[in-house]
Order: sequence, then C-alpha cells, then structure tokens
Amino acid sequence: MSMGKAKRYVALVAVLAVVALVVTGCGGSGASTAGSGKVTVDIGIGAPLTQGATALGQGMVRGATLAIDDVNASADAKKLGITFVGIQGDDQGDPTKGVNVANQFASDPKLVGVMGHLNSGVSIPASAVYQRANIVMISPASTNPQLTQLGRKNVFRVCTTDAVQGPVAADDAITKLGKKAVYVVDDSTPYGVGLADNFQAEFKTKGGTILGRDKTSDKDTDFKALVTKIKATKPDLVYYGGIYNAGALLAKQLKDGGVTAPLMGGDGLYDPQFVVLAGAANANGDYATSVGLPLEQLPQGQSFLKEFSAKYPNDKPAAYDAYSYDAAKVIMESALVAAKSVGASSVTGTSGRQAIIAAVAAFHGAGITGDIAFDKNGDTTNKAITLYTVTNGVWGPVK
Amino acid sequence: MQAQLATIVQQLINGITLGSMYALVALGYTLVYGILLMINFAHSEMFMVGAYVGLFTLTGLTNPHLVGGLAAFFKGSGFGLVILFALVFVVAMIAVGCLGMLVERFAYRPLRNAPRLAPLISAIGVSIFLQNAVLLWVNTMALPFPQVFPVKEITIYGSAQVSTLQIFILVTVIILLTALDTFVARTRMGKAMRATSQDREAAGLMGIDINRVITFTFFIGPALGAVAGIFNGMYYGVVLWNMGFIPGIKSFTAAVLGGIGNLRGAILGGFLLGIVESLASGFLSTGYKDVVAFIVLILVLIFRPGGLLGESVVEKV
Amino acid sequence: MDIQTKVGDGGWSKGKIALAVVGAILLVFLPVVLQGFVAMSFLVRILAVVGIYVMLALGLNIVVGYAGLLDLGYIAFYAMGAYSAAVVGNLFVKAVSHIGAVGLREFLTSSTFIFMLPVAALIAALTGISLGTPVLRLRGDYLAIVTLGFGELIRILATNNFLGLTNGAMGMSINVPNPVGLVAMQKPVINIPAVGFSFQFSVNLYWYYVVVLLICFTIFIVRRLDNSRLGRSWVAMREDEVAAASVGVNIRTAKLWAFALGALWGGLAGVVFANFQGFITPDSFSFLESVFVVSMVVLGGMGSIPGVIIGAALIGGLPAIIQGVAQSPMLASVFHIDAPTASAIANYRYLLFGLLMVVMMAWRPQGILPSKRRARELHPEDEKTLEEEDQSLWAVEHGIDGSGHDL
Repeated sequence: MSMGKAKRYVALVAVLAVVALVVTGCGGSGASTAGSGKVTVDIGIGAPLTQGATALGQGMVRGATLAIDDVNASADAKKLGITFVGIQGDDQGDPTKGVNVANQFASDPKLVGVMGHLNSGVSIPASAVYQRANIVMISPASTNPQLTQLGRKNVFRVCTTDAVQGPVAADDAITKLGKKAVYVVDDSTPYGVGLADNFQAEFKTKGGTILGRDKTSDKDTDFKALVTKIKATKPDLVYYGGIYNAGALLAKQLKDGGVTAPLMGGDGLYDPQFVVLAGAANANGDYATSVGLPLEQLPQGQSFLKEFSAKYPNDKPAAYDAYSYDAAKVIMESALVAAKSVGASSVTGTSGRQAIIAAVAAFHGAGITGDIAFDKNGDTTNKAITLYTVTNGVWGPVK
Repeated sequence: MQAQLATIVQQLINGITLGSMYALVALGYTLVYGILLMINFAHSEMFMVGAYVGLFTLTGLTNPHLVGGLAAFFKGSGFGLVILFALVFVVAMIAVGCLGMLVERFAYRPLRNAPRLAPLISAIGVSIFLQNAVLLWVNTMALPFPQVFPVKEITIYGSAQVSTLQIFILVTVIILLTALDTFVARTRMGKAMRATSQDREAAGLMGIDINRVITFTFFIGPALGAVAGIFNGMYYGVVLWNMGFIPGIKSFTAAVLGGIGNLRGAILGGFLLGIVESLASGFLSTGYKDVVAFIVLILVLIFRPGGLLGESVVEKV
Repeated sequence: MDIQTKVGDGGWSKGKIALAVVGAILLVFLPVVLQGFVAMSFLVRILAVVGIYVMLALGLNIVVGYAGLLDLGYIAFYAMGAYSAAVVGNLFVKAVSHIGAVGLREFLTSSTFIFMLPVAALIAALTGISLGTPVLRLRGDYLAIVTLGFGELIRILATNNFLGLTNGAMGMSINVPNPVGLVAMQKPVINIPAVGFSFQFSVNLYWYYVVVLLICFTIFIVRRLDNSRLGRSWVAMREDEVAAASVGVNIRTAKLWAFALGALWGGLAGVVFANFQGFITPDSFSFLESVFVVSMVVLGGMGSIPGVIIGAALIGGLPAIIQGVAQSPMLASVFHIDAPTASAIANYRYLLFGLLMVVMMAWRPQGILPSKRRARELHPEDEKTLEEEDQSLWAVEHGIDGSGHDL
C-alpha cells in the first residue's frame, strides 16, 4: 500500500471521529420543556412504509396521526401542557430492520410508547427491545399468539389473536351460513397461517369437512391453477387466511374460474379495497369476520370516519387504520394519566414509562373498534367478532 | 375420468396463459443478455411501469371528461375497442421503451467495459429507484385495472373453459414473438443485432453502429415487457408497485431454462415454466410450486448446462 | 511445498500502523461512547447489524470475489445457520436442563451460542457442498440462477415448516435468556451527568463485540486463504477454467472448497443473527437480502477485504442511519426539521439509495476499493497506472478493451 492511500485512510478515519464527536457531543436529555411547562413528547409509529405491506403501513400512520391530533386537542393534554408528536419508523416488514427501528425508538429520550408493528415477525423481536427500555408497545395488527405469551409486561395489542377469530369464523360458517365443506387457503404469513389453522381445527371439530388445504404467498397474483383445483373439489365455502391485497385477486379468480362458493376470511379481508380490487360483482356474497362492532354502528366510529375523510379525502380506511387509532390513543391517554402522577416533564423517565405501562394495563375505555381493556397477558378483552358480507359492493354486517 | 382430464386441460390452459406472459418478459432478459451479456435486473420494473402507463392510458381514454365523445366510441363498438387497446399498447410500449433507452444511456453505458458484475449492481440500483419512485409519487395501494375487455368463458372440453382474454393474450403474444423472430432473422437491424451478440468488437469493426444496436435492444426489450405488464394487469385485475418482482425472477429463470441469449429458448422456457407451475400447483401443492419449478430448472441445467436450446459451451478453448 | 507469493504490500508502513491503531481504538471505544449517550445508542445496534453483513459479505467474497462464482442465493446459508442455531440450540438447552448442578447448567445454557457456532458452521458448509456438487459444470449466469433457485428453495421449505422443524411462517424463538457474561458486564454503570453520559453494558454492545471478534477471525482466515495454494487455484480458475485445469488445478475441489467455505461464514453469521434477534422467521431470508449481499461485495470491490467491508457498511447501514439521523430529536432541533418532514426524508432514503448505487458504479466500476491483485491480474499492461492510482480508474478502464467479461 502506498503512502498516499494510507494518508487518505487516516483522513477518513479522522473525519469519522470528528463526526462521531460532534454527533455525540450534543447528547439529548429527557422530554424537552419549552418555556411555561409545555412538554413535547414522541410516540413511535412502527410500520412498513417503503417495502412490504405498505398500503397497510400507511393506514397505520393515518390512524395514529388522527389519534395524535385528537389527543393534542383534548382538554387533558392542554391542561398538562403535553403535545404528542408522531415519529414514523419504517420497519419494511423486515425483522432485522424492524429491530433497528425499535432500537431507534428506544434511544429517543422523549418517547412515551410505540404504536406498532404490523408483522408479528417484527413485533416479537422488537418487543424485547422495548421491554429493556420500559417502553409500552401496542400492536394494532400483530395476531401471532406468541407475542403476548412471552411474559413481557410492556406488550399489548388491540386486535384479537387468530386463536379467537378463527374458531368464531368456523362456528359462524357452520351455524349462521350452513356451510359443510370448505377448502382452506393461507398466504404463508404468520397472520394468515394462524387464522387458517384455527379455522380449520374448529371447523373440523364442529363436524365440517375440510376438502383441502393450500399455501400461497402474500405476493402471489396468479391463483388460476389453485382455482381449477378448488373447483374440482366442489366446496360450498373457500376460507382464506390472509390480507385483502392477494385475497381480492383470489376472490376475482375464483368467480372467473366458475367457483360459485363464496370466499370467507378474517379482518384482513374486511376492507373496502377488497371490493375495489376484486370488482363488486366478484366480491358480492363474500364473507369476513372482524373484531369489534361495525364502525358505523358506534358513535366514536362515525366521528372517526368523518374525521378521516376530512383529513384524507383521497383515501379510505384500510384494515388497520381504526385499530391504529385506538392503539395510539390508548398510549397517549395512558401517558396523560402517568403525567398526572409523576409530572409532565418526567413522563418519559423510567418511572414515567413504568407508570405508562401500568396505566395501559389498567386502561378501560371506549375505542372506535369497541370497548378496550387488556387481560393479564396484554391481549384485548374485546372479543366481539362480527360477521360481514359484501352486498351490492359494500361490506355490511350479516343480519 | 373425463372430469380429471378436463382438470388437466384446464391446468394446461392456465399454464399456457401464464407462460405466454413469462415468455414476453423473458425475451427482454434474453435480448439484453445476448447483446451485452448482462442480467438486466431492472427489467422487472419495466414490466411494472408498463402496467401503470397502460392503466393510466386506458382510464384516460375511457374517461368522458378527458376525451369527450371518444370515450363512448372506444367502449361502444368492437372496432372502437380494437383502436382503444391498440392505443393503450402503443403508448405503453413507446413510453417504457424510451424509459429503457434512458436507463441504458445513463446507468449501463458508462459501464460498457467494466467488470461483468458492475452493470448488475447498477441495474439493481435502477430497480430500487423505480420501485420507490412509483411508491412515493404514484400510489402505495394496489390499483384496480378496469375490465374494459369483454371477457367471455368458452367451454372447450368437459368443465374446462378458456376465456376470450386468454385467447387474446395468447394470440397477441404469438404475433409479437413471430414478429420479433422474423425481425431478428430478416432485417438489417436484426442482422446487426445478431452480429453484435456474436462478437461486439468485430461487429463494430465491420461498420455496425454498436450504440444504435444496443439502444434499439433496450427499446424492444422493455416495450415487450410493457405489453406483458398490461396483460398482467388485465388478466389479474390489479397494478401494484412491486408487481414486477416475482414475474421478473420467474421470467429470468425461464430465459435461463431455455438457454439465455437464445430468443426461441426464452419463449420455450417461458411456456414450459408456466405449465410446470400450473401443474405443480394443481396436482401437488401450491406452496411447493416454486420448489418444483426450480427443481426442474436445476435438473435441466445438470443435463444440459446451456439450457434447453442454448449451445452447451461447457468447455471453451 | 508452497512458494509464498506475497501479493501487494510486504511490510507495514508507519502510516498503516497508525491507521490500524486508530481503527482498533475506534472499533472498541466508539460503540461505548455511542451507548453512553441515549440518543445515539441505537447506532450500536446498527453497527452490530452492519457487522453481521460484513461477515456475510466476507463469506460471499470467497465465492464471488476469489473463486469467481456468482451466487445469488447466498442468504440460504445464513438461513441454514440461523435455523440450525435455533433448532439444535433449543435441543441443547433442553438436554442441558437435566443437569443437576445449577452453576454448570446455567453456564452451559447461557453459552449455547458458542457451542452452536461450530455446529451451524458445519451444517452450512455441508449444505454448501451439497449445492456445489450438482452444479459443478455450470458457469456464470447459469450458476447464478441455480443458486437463486436454491436460496428460494430453502426459504420456501422454512415457510412450509419442512419436517416440522422450522415452525413455518410463525417463526421460532431462541430460548436463551442471557448470553454468557452479559449479566456480570451489566453491573457497572458509569455516569457523567455533566455531558449527559450514562453507560451501562447492553445486549447490542455484547453482540457487537461478538461480531467484531468473529470478523477479525474471518479476516485472518480469509487473508491466509487468499495467499494459499487454494487461493491461487481460485484465481487461476476464475481467470480461465480450462487453462487452470490444464496446469493441474483440480477445478472440482477448488469449487467445492469455495462453496463450503463461503457457506460456512454465512452459517456463522446466521448463528449470531438468530441469537441477537431472539426470534427468526423466513422473512429475514428473502432473495432481496441475497441481492444486497452481492451488491456489498461488488460495490465495495470484489476480492478486496477493506472494499467489501465498506460495501457492507454502506448498503447494510446507510439506509438505517439516514432514517435514524433524520428522525433524531437533536438533529431535528439543530436543523428545525419537524416530525413529518423527517419521516418524509426517511421514506425517500431508498430512492436516493438506488440512485447512489447507479452513480457509485458509474464512478468506480471496479468497486470502491478494488482488489489490487485482481486489478493487476486483469490488466498487466496498465499495472503502473494502477499503482499511481486512482480517480481515473474508470477512464483508464474505458480506454482499454477486452477487459469485459471477467466473471
């Protein structure tokens, strides 16, 4: 190696060292107080934004943003002088990058909690990071049962697990809809597999016939071969564990391929986009179960929809917008509760964060997806499942 | 028995339709590879951009607020539909072809004499850029592709059906493939392309404008990719920013299966892969269809290391 | 006996020693400083992740950079390592739990990952050989597509819960609460309130040091390999397989060693990843990840160890650092960036990243720090120019033809 090159290395290293010193030199302190008791605190929004299920991730950001606006405008927040700011952490649905984001959140001294993540594969390792930093995490969408069974006291979710939703769907399929023979398909994601497994087990114990089970991928677009296979088994219901993006394509191709049996799925299908993508004619008669009561039937739900269309006139709520709203709101309201006991300026300290976790665990209130409270594991106690169907291109509850 | 046979026929129809789209995309890979010996990783994004351009052209031309009475004309008669789709395809082919040329000019041409893998990385960069550009500037959501084409199912054998759209796709693909094959075999430019792919420097010495040949190749390949993208949108009904990824890998596989650099090989590989996938998914398991496809690929390459129609240049001397 | 052909530099110049010392100090103490300031502590995690990518890139560098075999499914070995660590490690923990002596039991449990390193490395290396054997005859892009297929195969098998081992898409936990020594290391807490410094040893820091040690070991081995008989036969094979075979290089052995050794380091990286992450799903082993590792090697400079490290740092770390720094509360207060703007900047990072890859390749097609040995082998005629180096490398390249297809 020539001297010239070595010199350049030394220069490079020196520059790096200077940068490191400058960056670390201005170390941050806790919640920043600007003047007369006004405190700005952060709430992390962990979601896939540039890779993975971005449409759902953007929905999580929308829901959380609406909740932040609402809470910031509330009398409690004003009285305590606390302003919440949403920090988007793009986890790309990737476990490695997700944990990077979790560490980034954990190193924010102004953070009160994290609303996230979408994928269970991200949420589970990320929750360990949050646990070490005493940060509360509420997932609006991770349904893998393991998430809340690891004994982490800081972990909560506002969606029900597959273990609740799947069996209810199976019961409804048999008793309400009178279906006897079903073909089960999943999308190879933890959500879809869990849902399909639980549905299948319950359907079988209740005396139904499982005609077949197949795995697809959440990125698949071609289901033609599968449809031909399903058609030959003559099912009276096709159950799909997965999200509407691929689910809508399956619904369309089932009808195109001459399968008359309706498609049924979980809350991942219960989305207006499902009808848009499948086409109303193909989606009509399909079913989905979802947690809580229909948004339109709850007073909070109606005001959420109104707010939503005012702020995002070009969008429609995706599968998890409403859950994200609730999750973010629970975190912020609990932060306000904690602020009352430990003081607004130390709400992001260790004692403040522990108080927030305690407040979330004790939380009881009305959300837009129904009543919200958590059991000892951190799972929602809201186990009301509603069965919906598409009529004339619109999702509505089955009477 | 008859029911089973009908299922097999139906799976073959599914496979042929899927395969014809793979073949179109595979041609783009193989053309570029034949001339530049590079894997154009960004080709799958040409497929995706083509679907978007096609979708926007189609919605634009059928929107009465934009084109007035023309919308009714386009949708009204069979003749109108033919004109409409011709326009949609031509616009998308030109737009994506130009994008392909642009990418070649700015991302690949500076690397013409660089090590083999340098353009591959550049292409990956282009692919990431284009995906994120669509994600940030167009839409993160899947967009529905309006069903303007009159789809009718025609029963052919037992319960096996073929739709008018499937016939349309297959016929168009065959026309395009024949046209390309004839073009490369018969025309001056085609001859220049063949010469360039055999030996770029010698071709240059013989007076062939290498840059023109390469630019032209980067127009044709992406333009065919755009057609496949539109077909994908029409057939499955959605357009999404990451829709190019899986067909991209599959088509590249198809191109290698047939013998990369060989046009007819790409077509054969495309159809073969489509059919294998459909049969595997129909008679084995959908979860393992890609496993079966890749095992077929590995087996083919073990026994014919140059692909099905490729020259087996194992030992070069 | 081998005749040692020392390539490149023989002795250590003063500048290089100074550099090594500064580098070593930074390597050890920079993370400590970062960990001490809460707002910067996430960078320790990113450094550790970059370290894992460095290991992967160094391993792939053996296959691509030295042996010249394009592998687009390298992540399969990473997956093999991670899943072996999870499956065998959990069995190990279960077996150990029957031991009566509490101290020994706890020690063995907490050091599971150390025992898993050789096991997983062996499994990965065997996988490498089993992939290598059938594809010995394939070259260039045919090999690339088969390795791609193999990478996908492993991921699909993991997703489909192959033989009931991987728990499918639901993922697997690694049931080791605390790695050996962590608890003791976490005892001391250093506080310097005046500058807001508060240091306590962290899990991230622990794995960072493990990764750094493994990287040092990797570099040591890889350098030895490069200068060995095997290394020279790789060079010969890469440049011309037929000529190499005719002068007595056993192509079959050379290729299999390349696959096995490359896979071995992928496996080691996988073990560290699985233990660091604590929970693995097939999502982590996608084709895109393979592509990124190849990009690290090529962008950094094939066959060049410092180059590959820089490539891994850029591709593995840059997007996360852009996101973290854009959203860092201090920076926001310095530059008056509000949260939505910071998020927007963060979301544009991959757009810029793609562009950067194109620009970088156009600027330095041989990689950022190309391997001198490799460059020299390819262009004996312009050796002198290369010695003088280097801004005009591309221009030099451009003027000379026939250097086209070296892989």
